[in-house]
This record gives sequence, structure tokens and C-alpha cells, in this order.
Amino acid sequence: MAAADSSSAALRRRDLCSRGIRLAGKMRSDVIDLLDTYVERQGLDASASVAVVEGVPVAAVERWDEQTGTQRLLENLAAYRAFRALLAQMLEEQREQLGEADAALGRALAAVLLQVSAFAYHLEELLRLESRGLPSEEGAGPPPPSHLGLFERKLWGLGVLRELAQWAVRSARDLRQLTKPSPGSSLAPSPAESP
Amino acid sequence: QNLKCVTHNLRKMICTWDVSSKGRHGQTDFCYTTNDLPPPVCFKTKEKRVEIPVPESSSMVTITTNSISGTAFATKEFEIHKEDIWFVPLTPRILSLTPDFSTSTLNLKWSDNGSVFPYGLGAFWQIQILRKAAMEKVTQVTYYSKLTHEDIILSWNWTSDMPLECTSHYVKIRCYINVTQFVGPKDWSDWSPVEEVPGKDTEPNGSGVFPQDTVVAVGSDVTICCVHEEGQQIKRMTYGPEIYPMIHLSSRSSAIRVLNASASNTSGTNVVCILSGDEMDGTVLFVGYAPDIPQNLSCETSNFLNIKCTWKPGRPSGLYGKRRTKYSLFERISGRNVSCEVNEMNRERVCGFPVLADQKTYDFILGVSNPIGQTESSLVVDLTQRVHPKTPEKLTVSGNSSTSVRLHWFINGSFAEIRLLCQIEIRSGHSERKLHNISMPGGKFSTYTAQLNALRPYTKYHFRVRCSAADHFWRWSDWSMVEEHTTLEA
Repeated sequence: MAAADSSSAALRRRDLCSRGIRLAGKMRSDVIDLLDTYVERQGLDASASVAVVEGVPVAAVERWDEQTGTQRLLENLAAYRAFRALLAQMLEEQREQLGEADAALGRALAAVLLQVSAFAYHLEELLRLESRGLPSEEGAGPPPPSHLGLFERKLWGLGVLRELAQWAVRSARDLRQLTKPSPGSSLAPSPAESP
Repeated sequence: QNLKCVTHNLRKMICTWDVSSKGRHGQTDFCYTTNDLPPPVCFKTKEKRVEIPVPESSSMVTITTNSISGTAFATKEFEIHKEDIWFVPLTPRILSLTPDFSTSTLNLKWSDNGSVFPYGLGAFWQIQILRKAAMEKVTQVTYYSKLTHEDIILSWNWTSDMPLECTSHYVKIRCYINVTQFVGPKDWSDWSPVEEVPGKDTEPNGSGVFPQDTVVAVGSDVTICCVHEEGQQIKRMTYGPEIYPMIHLSSRSSAIRVLNASASNTSGTNVVCILSGDEMDGTVLFVGYAPDIPQNLSCETSNFLNIKCTWKPGRPSGLYGKRRTKYSLFERISGRNVSCEVNEMNRERVCGFPVLADQKTYDFILGVSNPIGQTESSLVVDLTQRVHPKTPEKLTVSGNSSTSVRLHWFINGSFAEIRLLCQIEIRSGHSERKLHNISMPGGKFSTYTAQLNALRPYTKYHFRVRCSAADHFWRWSDWSMVEEHTTLEA
């Protein structure tokens, strides 16, 4: 029976990964569209350089190949939980600054927030599949520092969206890596299972 | 020689003189007579300056300069006429110079030193505003006040054309007192010492773009500055998509001047300061309109429980979110005030106000404000003359005769204070339409009844009803749903 169980789990995992890859792809294109709308509506210069924004998870990672599958999932989950909080803050900021005046941007932000939440849930599913306990939620990420002026908050938002777009690319690569039968994709046994 | 007497308070005068011969001298013997009345008053002084009373007409002064050993070696006599005495007010004392950065306004307070002078004299105050490290004069203003024989603290505001953060501002003041009855020459006081309001370009961590996230009226001329660290260079400053020529303020501050600013888009106009090393700083300017006077303000009640006021907002302000135009409804008789939740995107605006017990007349002021300005509109209404009932509901038709029926309907609301006029529309198959009006006492959340006679037997009719106030018609309610009924056979 054990063999049957593990092959169905593998099938389930492969299905979750491939659906996750599609989700990440859709999310990325929507984030790119949102970025265009955001830049245009906020009157920003698309080429504006934005310093690393505090509290925003960085997609770039060193020694990406050496990560275990669990590490990949855990880092992804932490990132999308953070983005969920960051996008919620952006939505709140947008309502406070613009009210109902820019409903289109508000809707686009809300749509991406929904996808980020869905993707985080998807990652939790994958981790549950590996009977791994889910890391506790650390509460909302840090809000934009209150002393920031409006222009800096606009840049802060730009930084968040740009990094999210990078994460969507990384997540697709991570999930593809999980579907490959190679050490890099192995999920380290959870403590309960260790011999 | 060169004896000169100056009075600062019209009572005492300070006389000064020179001694022609060089070399060291001993004390001076100074004698004076007042208004030619002997005896002279004499005293010794080391200074070449004494304070003596201002004479009614003239004073005789004798100055004897002694040698170090005390022997007199030069004596000179002067006659000081009233016309020779200068009147120069004391230098004004600035009490405080307070900046209000949010409005770029300086508030200057100083004492007019009026207790020294008789009541009613006119005083002119010249105030100079200077700017930048080079203390360039920005403006000079003359302010007039009347002295009241008391020391009054005078206050004066000046609004800068640029944010006070941009660079240091300085103020100094002097005065001239118009003593018409004083026959001698008169002059301005000395300038007061300069008071400074330091700019952010003097603070170690003062960098930034100013004003920060402010709101201005369309058509304004706005100065926006970029304060940066020592040694940094500003590559360019942009306002929206355009690069603007820069005005040098100091080694750490430059500004741009935007003339006749046009309305910004919903998220404001970005002002960006691109610095060396591709660093960037910026601010957002919201350019909009002061609120328009609300048009077509109208208030009515549909149920005598609450009052609904509507109006047309006029020209959009172009300001949104927390800078949007806000409305409040104040009722003068009761003193009650209600703030209105308004959706900026709706063309028509609505605000609710509770119907108050035992109050028939309402004196409304609709207050409108946004960061650029405020206005208001007012309306007095007698509520019984502004009844617009809700749509009649639950219309039912009953009848056990071939030529008459009874209609019943319900209206949500409390109309006990008025009579209702209801209109019943009667349609029969031959596209014949009749209207039957009936008035009745209003009730409290009541069902109303009407009887219709002279109908045709065995005929299908369509009925619907609407109501309004009977005594002071204002508006019909909407029509109720249609109810179909066929009269019995004859």
C-alpha cells in the first residue's frame, strides 16, 4: 500500500507544481500589466531606479541550484505572505490617497493581491503534501515608514511590484525544479519522518 | 565742537560732541540751563556724551574740557534750539520670529514701545525680509500703527513665495514716529538686529524636496526646491514630464519655479530631483480647485424620519482621497451638524439629516471645504412642504361588486402630520386611462384604502397608485406596482 500512496502523492505534487507554474506565469503577466498602469497613473518614470526596499523579499538568491525543495517552498511561501501584506498596504494607501478616483488601479491591485493570496495557499498545499508543518505567519510585513513622503511611497510601491514580478519568475523556476527527479528537487524529510 | 543732540523719547536728549585738540584729556565740566531759567545745572563727565532734558524752547550749554591735571584748557558755549534737536526713535526690539512651514508664513512680533510716547502718535514700521546666505533683500514692507501710550506687541505675517525650508530667511525692522508737533529733524530708527529662520539647507539631515506633498490652486506660481547634502550635485529637476531651469539658492539648495500650475492628475504631479550618483528625491504637488458653490441645493423627506439633501457639486476640484472636497450639513435652529459621506465620482451629491422631534422648519447650511478653500450654500425648508413619499407598496384590489372595487396600499413612513393626496391610475383594456385623486389624513407606517365606483362590469382593469403631500405639493412618489383586477359580472 505504501508504494501506491507515494506514487499518488508524487502525482498530486506534480499536478500542484504544474498548476503552480501556470499560476506564477499568469501572475507575472498581470503584475507586468499592473506595473505599467501603476507607473502611468502615478506619473513615474518607468526607468526610475528604486533602491532595495526594506521589508520586501528579494527574489535574487545565491546558489539557487543547491537549494532543497523544502527550502524553495518555504522561501516562496514566506515571500508571498509578505507580498500579500505589502499589496494590502498598497491598496489601503491607494484608497487613502485617491479614494474612488482611480478605481481601475485599485481593481488591478486587488486582482493581483488575490492571485498572490491564491499562490501562497497553493504553496501551503504543496508543503502539506510533504506533511511539513507550515511556518507560522509573522503578521503583516513592515508598513512603508511613515516619514516617507508621497513621492517616496510611490517609489516604494514601484519597488514592491518590480520585486513581485521577479518572484513570479523565480517561483516558476523553483516549481519546475521540484518536478524534476533530481537531488535539487528532493524535499528534505520532515523531522517526523527522519529515521 | 559738532555738538549734536538726539532725543529718543521727546523728554530726554543725548548730546554728544567732539574735542578738536588731540592728546589725552581729563574730565569735562558740563553745564546747561533749561529755557533760560538760571541757575545752570552742572556736572562732570568722562564721556563726550550726556543725557539732559529736552528744553521747551532752548538750552544754553557750556562745555569745559580739562587737562589730565584738572586745569581747564578749553571752554565752549552752545545754544541748543528745539529745531536743532534730532528725534530718532529707539531701535525696535523683535520679540519673536515664528515660521509656519505648512503655509510658508513668517510671523513677526515686536513691541511698539508706545509707553514712551504720548497717545495717538502714528508710527511707521519698515520690515525687510532677506534670504539666502548672501542675505539678498526679498521684500520691504511699511506697516502703520497708532501708539497708545502703552507698550503694545504688534504682530505681522508674511507668506513667502517659496517654502521656508528651502533656505534661510532673515527679518529686520526699523521705525519712524510721526511727531508732528516736534519741530526738530526726525529720522528712522536704526535697523533691529537680524532675526533668522534657518533653512533645511543648514541642517545636517535636512535633505528633501519641499514643499512636501502640498496642495495648491490651479493657476498658482509655485517654487519647489531640492535640498541635498554638501558636495552632491543636482543633475536636473523635473515637474511632471518637463525639465525646469534651476534657481541657485545655496550650496545645498536649488529651486524651480512653476508658473500658472495646471490641474494635476488624480495621483498628483511628481516633482523629481535627480542627483549625482543617480540618487533621486521628490515630492508630489496636488493642483486643484477650491470647491464650487453647491448648486441646486434641495432637501426633502420621504418618511418624516430623515431628510435627504441633494446638490450639484459644480466644477470638480480635481482633488481626491484624503484631499477631497468634504461636505457637512449644519442646521442652525437645532445647532446639529452632520458630516456627509460623499462619493467623489457621483455627479449628484447626497447627504442625510435626521428629522428632529417638534421641528418643522430647517435652516440648513451646507459647508464645503477642501485644502484649497471653502464655501457654503444655505437653504431654509418647511419640511411639510418638502414631502416626497416613498413608493406605495403592497397594492391590493378587492371587490365583490360589478361596478366598484377597494384598493389598499402601504406607504413606509410617518405622515401623521400631513394630509396625503394619492392618485390612482385606472387603465382598462381599451387603452383608456383615467386618474382618480383622493386625499386622506396621513398615517404612521399605515395602510391606506380607497374605493372606486362606476366601473364597468366584467372588465379587466389595471390599477396603480402614487402619493404626495396634499396641502403643499412637492413631488409625487413613484408609481406603485400595477395590480390587475376584473370586476364581477353584472
